[in-house]
Amino acid sequence: MLMFILRRILQTIPVIIGVTFVVFFIMQLVPGDPAVLLAGEGASKETIEAIRDQLGLNQPLYIQYFEYLTSVFKGDLGVSLKNSQPVLDEILVRLPITIELAFFSIIITIVLGMAAGIISAVKPYSLTDVSVMLVALLGISLPSFWFGLMLMYFFSVKLQILPVAGWDSLLHVILPAITLGAGGAAIVARMTRSSMLEVIRQDYIRTARAKGLRERIIIYKHALRNALIPVITVVGLQFGALLGGTVLVESIFAINGLGRMIVDAIRMRDLPMVQGGVLFASLIFVVVNLFVDVFYRFFNKRIELN
Amino acid sequence: MKESNRPILEVKGLKTHFTTKRGVSKAVDGIDFTLHKGETLGIVGESGCGKSMTSLSILRLIPSPPGKIAGGSVLFKGRDLVTMPEDEMRKIRGNEISMIFQEPMTSLNPVIPVGEQIAEALRLHQKMGKKAAWDKSVDMLKMVGIPSPDKRAKQEPFQLSGGMRQRVMIAMALACTPEVLIADEPTTALDVTIQAQILELIKELQTKIGMGVIMITHDLGVVAETCDKVAVMYAGNIVEHASTEQIFADPKHPYTQGLLNSLPKIHEDQEELITIDGSVPSPYNMPGGCRFASRCPYAEDICAAHQPDLVSYSEDIKVRCWKYTDKWTGKRDKEGVV
Repeated sequence: MLMFILRRILQTIPVIIGVTFVVFFIMQLVPGDPAVLLAGEGASKETIEAIRDQLGLNQPLYIQYFEYLTSVFKGDLGVSLKNSQPVLDEILVRLPITIELAFFSIIITIVLGMAAGIISAVKPYSLTDVSVMLVALLGISLPSFWFGLMLMYFFSVKLQILPVAGWDSLLHVILPAITLGAGGAAIVARMTRSSMLEVIRQDYIRTARAKGLRERIIIYKHALRNALIPVITVVGLQFGALLGGTVLVESIFAINGLGRMIVDAIRMRDLPMVQGGVLFASLIFVVVNLFVDVFYRFFNKRIELN
Repeated sequence: MKESNRPILEVKGLKTHFTTKRGVSKAVDGIDFTLHKGETLGIVGESGCGKSMTSLSILRLIPSPPGKIAGGSVLFKGRDLVTMPEDEMRKIRGNEISMIFQEPMTSLNPVIPVGEQIAEALRLHQKMGKKAAWDKSVDMLKMVGIPSPDKRAKQEPFQLSGGMRQRVMIAMALACTPEVLIADEPTTALDVTIQAQILELIKELQTKIGMGVIMITHDLGVVAETCDKVAVMYAGNIVEHASTEQIFADPKHPYTQGLLNSLPKIHEDQEELITIDGSVPSPYNMPGGCRFASRCPYAEDICAAHQPDLVSYSEDIKVRCWKYTDKWTGKRDKEGVV
């Protein structure tokens, strides 16, 4: 198991280099010349040229990339074009907020989704099952920007029990986390249900029954562990979608997280900031995938890393 | 009847029906048999004749819906399993009556170590502690002939071969020393050498524990080797019930005769394998008369019209066939048709 984790960690290195590659070259495709942007309107040709020289923008692309890569590994993500602050400092302020939001959202996705899926699967085609699955269908269909606003309207404006926006206390986390986690919960619920129904038909469940085990133990010990294997994959994928969702949800609830930072940076054409933000979002994703693989392996020891 | 002669399991008129969109399928349609301590009863018949459903019905493991025990009783030590409350039934499953299934590859939970799969039954039924149950399950693995059992107990099924998995299944079934073991085609999925080993093992453990065994199989070789008496099933009914010697030496029912006839004979030069003409009737649309009539070489008018009962031919032979009743005319025999 330890070997597996170690090898899996080593495997992320080429992935991370790949990420820097993609992030760097996508930025090259963005229209507009950063030197012109930085120099401001009406700057002389000489000034622009000087800036270009200073930033190394007149070097060949592969040298620029190589320099970018070395500075990234040194922890230097450049300075913001907007306020000349180091990009890394800004990210380190914003990152914990987004991680906190993502953490609570994925908890909602997992707990709510699996619970709903199990409840449905235990009594398939019952009224409970049909209602739970109907809610899940709604959860998948509702766009998060609308759902977030509706939650805000009911709980903050009408009932006034939760704060409207901002990020000061745990109370502030509730609505954004629900908004962000709901869609995933719905998908996880449907996946858990179908996976459980599949597993309950298997021969080894019959064996467990023939052993005289209680229905509870059959469901939670014998069926669930097997049913969770595909669900873990879905949760991992959902986390990717969730990271994308933070951009929207942070904007709706005025949360100063990484997602909102990227949106603002794009609006300002603050390229180093965008680059740094996207890089970190990708890193989170890589790390989460690592965890998913380790969990997967834990639940299903048949998986061998080749 | 003397106490020691009382059967440990007595199945009377057991019916298991499946209700589906196509109608009611009578998978098991009124069967009777008894099993004594230390005895092995073989239930034979071709695929779909209801033998597996019979065994699942005894433990009430029929997938429901669509399946349902529609009638009859299963008396185990005098108590009826069919009407017993579910929580009492659970105490019997895996404890007093155990089962081995056909598919060792899929019958073990793929993500739970095999030792734990044996130990959980011990903790449940024998109220053993964690450590004691684990030690006992290692002992069981040793008893069924698995080398280095303490190491194997910690492994998951995918790390074991098919033969070893079936041994694990047997260890699991026997862990609580049951009084009845139902073995549903225990060797079908295994290759021939392993087959012999597994049958030997079941026999050996049977003498050790003294349990009654119901051996469900379509393999007449398995019957010859292991069973004391045989019930031959056809289309949800028992058509013949007799001692193993009797069945092989002098089968009464035309279907049993056909079955034995269709065995390839090693000492004869056979060009073609002998088969029974026709096919099994659909369980959704059973004929009103004898279910074998359409395939039977002796069939008379009465066969298609009325279902015969399972009646005693002699002290230990029961047969479900008009041929052995006084209603039989023997017309076709006389005409020289057969």
